[in-house]
Amino acid sequence: MDAEMRYHLECEAAEYVRQGSAPDEARRRAAREFGGLEALKEDARDARGGRPLEDLVLDLRYAARVLRHNPWFTIAAVLTFALGIGAASAIFSVVYGVLVRPLPYAHADRLVVLWERHLPRSKDQNVVSVDNFEAWRDSARAFDGMVAVVPRPVTLIEGGAPERVTGAEISPGYFDLLGVAPARGREFTSADAAPGAADVVILSDGYWRRRFGGDPSVVGRALSVGGRPHTIVGIMPNVEPPRFGWLGEQPLWFPFVATNENRAWGRFLLVIARLRPEATLGQARAEMLAIADRRSREAAANEGWSATVTPLARQITGDVRTSLIVLLGAVSLLLLMAVTNVATLMLSLTRRRARELAMRRAIGATDSRLFRQLFTQSALLGAIGGAVGLLTAAPGVRLLVMLLPPDVPRVDSIRLDTPVLLAASGIAVLATIAFGTVAAIRGRSSAALAASSQGEGRISPRTGGGTLVAVEIALGLALSLMAMLMARSFIALRAVDLGFSSEGVVVARVGLPGDRYRSGASQRAFFTALLERVRALPGVESASVISARPLGGLGPATSVSDPREPAVPASQAPVVDVRFAEAAYFRTLGIRSSRGTTFDERDDGDGPPQAVISESMARTLWPDQDPVGRELHIVINGGITATIVGVVGDVHLMDARTSSRPAVYLSASRFPSEQRDLVVRAGGTPEAIVPSLRAAAAALSPGLPLYQVTTLPHLVSTSLAADRFATILLGAFALVAVALAAVGIVGVFSADVAHRRKEIGVRLALGARSSGIVFILLRQSLARAVVGVIAGAAMALLLARSMGSMLFGVRATDPISLVTVAAVLLGVAVCATLVPAIHAIRQSPLTVLRGDS
Amino acid sequence: MPVSKADLLQGTLDLLILKTLALGPLHGWAVSKRIQQMSKDILTVNQGSLYPALYRLEDRGWIAGAEGESAEGRRIKLYKLTAAGWRQLADELDTWKSFSAGINRVIKAV
Repeated sequence: MDAEMRYHLECEAAEYVRQGSAPDEARRRAAREFGGLEALKEDARDARGGRPLEDLVLDLRYAARVLRHNPWFTIAAVLTFALGIGAASAIFSVVYGVLVRPLPYAHADRLVVLWERHLPRSKDQNVVSVDNFEAWRDSARAFDGMVAVVPRPVTLIEGGAPERVTGAEISPGYFDLLGVAPARGREFTSADAAPGAADVVILSDGYWRRRFGGDPSVVGRALSVGGRPHTIVGIMPNVEPPRFGWLGEQPLWFPFVATNENRAWGRFLLVIARLRPEATLGQARAEMLAIADRRSREAAANEGWSATVTPLARQITGDVRTSLIVLLGAVSLLLLMAVTNVATLMLSLTRRRARELAMRRAIGATDSRLFRQLFTQSALLGAIGGAVGLLTAAPGVRLLVMLLPPDVPRVDSIRLDTPVLLAASGIAVLATIAFGTVAAIRGRSSAALAASSQGEGRISPRTGGGTLVAVEIALGLALSLMAMLMARSFIALRAVDLGFSSEGVVVARVGLPGDRYRSGASQRAFFTALLERVRALPGVESASVISARPLGGLGPATSVSDPREPAVPASQAPVVDVRFAEAAYFRTLGIRSSRGTTFDERDDGDGPPQAVISESMARTLWPDQDPVGRELHIVINGGITATIVGVVGDVHLMDARTSSRPAVYLSASRFPSEQRDLVVRAGGTPEAIVPSLRAAAAALSPGLPLYQVTTLPHLVSTSLAADRFATILLGAFALVAVALAAVGIVGVFSADVAHRRKEIGVRLALGARSSGIVFILLRQSLARAVVGVIAGAAMALLLARSMGSMLFGVRATDPISLVTVAAVLLGVAVCATLVPAIHAIRQSPLTVLRGDS
Repeated sequence: MPVSKADLLQGTLDLLILKTLALGPLHGWAVSKRIQQMSKDILTVNQGSLYPALYRLEDRGWIAGAEGESAEGRRIKLYKLTAAGWRQLADELDTWKSFSAGINRVIKAV
């Protein structure tokens, strides 16, 4: 085009020469007639269809030039945006993996979990009895399949040392219901689940590879489980089984066989069902309610029991859901904050270039052209920042997965793949459009302003920076409040007196193989001998055993009553946790003894069993009375009456958050079992004692493993992992947010002050005191900050309500937290204002008034 | 050099360019010169109108630019009519004839 037009000019000039003009004159005349070459080119381009594309290329080149010439601005903006996008993408990929990604089962959206519901205790999710499971399976029409599953800890003896693992018993059709076919062999049939059927087992892909090196010929071979040979009938593909309740990794599966014995155990089954394609969740719930209602009238055991239906995906997600959603909300705020900051940065850059833009307007750039140019600049910035952000998302996800508390489900499904990357890119594009539009509109109007006022001499109205400052303060406040509440909650949780002292205590589980220790006497003898050996070990201060250590999840619970009181209905009797402990347990864990003594170890069968009860249980049954010496009826082993020998302090058996429940302890040697938790208090570093503990166990019973070996301090720390995770993440977000707010405010305010230098100079020259000027500037900034604080407080209170269930010991509306973060944010605003304000009054008024810049 | 006339009647420039190029391929300057000559200096085409028009016509596919050589051996862009351009020229001629006939009748009636 250029060549063409120049050629035109030359021809024209040549023509004039032919007509008799001097060559110079001819050239000048031709140029005059031709008009502005560049403007002509513009017009010509306009006429052509490829115009927008050509503009885009020009704008991109121009934008790249601007970014290159302002490296600090570019680095700051790119990093800010990348931080926002990176953090948002990382959190989003975790949320997507855990909450959104469909479960790896056919018809996963139709899978539900069925629970019994205990109305008097308003316990919504109780495990199911065998009879009820069978009745539901046979009568419910809303489902086209229903299976039961229950964890089964077993000792495997295959090759070398015995290994203790927790598999699961499943009713036939379990894998078919999930839509997962065995990779090799077959699934259990109803023949496998018939009483007296041959022992069979199905292996998980992971266990098969780990233990048999992926040898396909193991199908049909025998595996020794608890000393009995089981035939391997199938191997499952590498699909994670549903994990909820206390279902663990499940390296192998056994058929669940309903027997008269386990019918009498009460409630212990987890039940999964699949809705018929045409059935809704509501219909299933209604039908289950009706069936449970009928059954509650049929059998005394079902009195006060109903049923609930929960989608499987929701069940697996569990409590993690709230905290992940809160984190997603928090990271969205952070992203908004980053977007605001980039817009602020863009704006300050545009303001510095206001004269250039005004010039462009003057020589003919239209408003829409300027808008496009500014927007292209943002788009380029957004593309670079977004790309950097997405690149940092991958290590971010890995870091998050490392930090995730151990009980978060579906961690395997967290990864950066197409849907996640698409969503993250979409977020980046939207965010770019957001700050690009704000920056372009504001930038254009500041160009118009510069054009009209011909520079910065006049006291100018604000150009949009104020709103951005208020937004920054509001977002920063909301994030800080969330972090503050979480931190206070975490501190409160840590301060909870768990009722025992964890320092220096090692715990380990001992499971005796059933074939060698079948009788109670042999089990009792083993544990007595084990404790004798352990207590003799150097460094051991005290040792004991208990049926289930604290912080070990749910344990058995039952109802109790005072045999001297008139019988209360079973549904209204207090329900207490039951633990079987050896006499030294309370001393070993440092549990306070408030009355009486502990078990008499010579009590081995004759006379009433002894019981130690917790303080809260004493208060429940015998307020203001001494319970020692009284009798207690406990619904266990068909009902026993025990004599209370002592009262001990309350212990948090679940975790710090769950308030301690009333508990009764019975003698571990009076009620022997093949499985106990060994608790050992050792001075110094408790881990050092572990090898000698293993040796002691193996010396008594060759090959006997200790498993779940850990320390109580570690368990305490793990029980706080979810809260720690949320606290760390929200805290980090809040710190970044406050830093961004500070940077943003300094940026906007510096530009403001720079804009008003002449005004300030005039004021100083006329005798204004510098303190007065700082005061004026401060007042203006604080006005914006206060607007931000009010808006932020409103937003923060709304958001904090959603995290109510995550909080412990502090309410979402906690005034102390709110006032503190508001004060911090105002302080940041003041400091961020003072820096440029002091800088402004330091300059000599003469320099300002004389100089143009 | 004739004095610049009032703007060409809206839409007639396209017709003039097409007609000019119907006589053979020309480069931009030659197009404007040819129009000027053929109209006996009554019509002059401003460069500011010429090039946007050329690009517009090219964009619509009525004319096509091709590389050519000037008398001095320089590479220049020559425009020529395309098949669609010939059809368009015929259309525009018809339109112009009926249009001018209409105008003539009005003028003569007064």
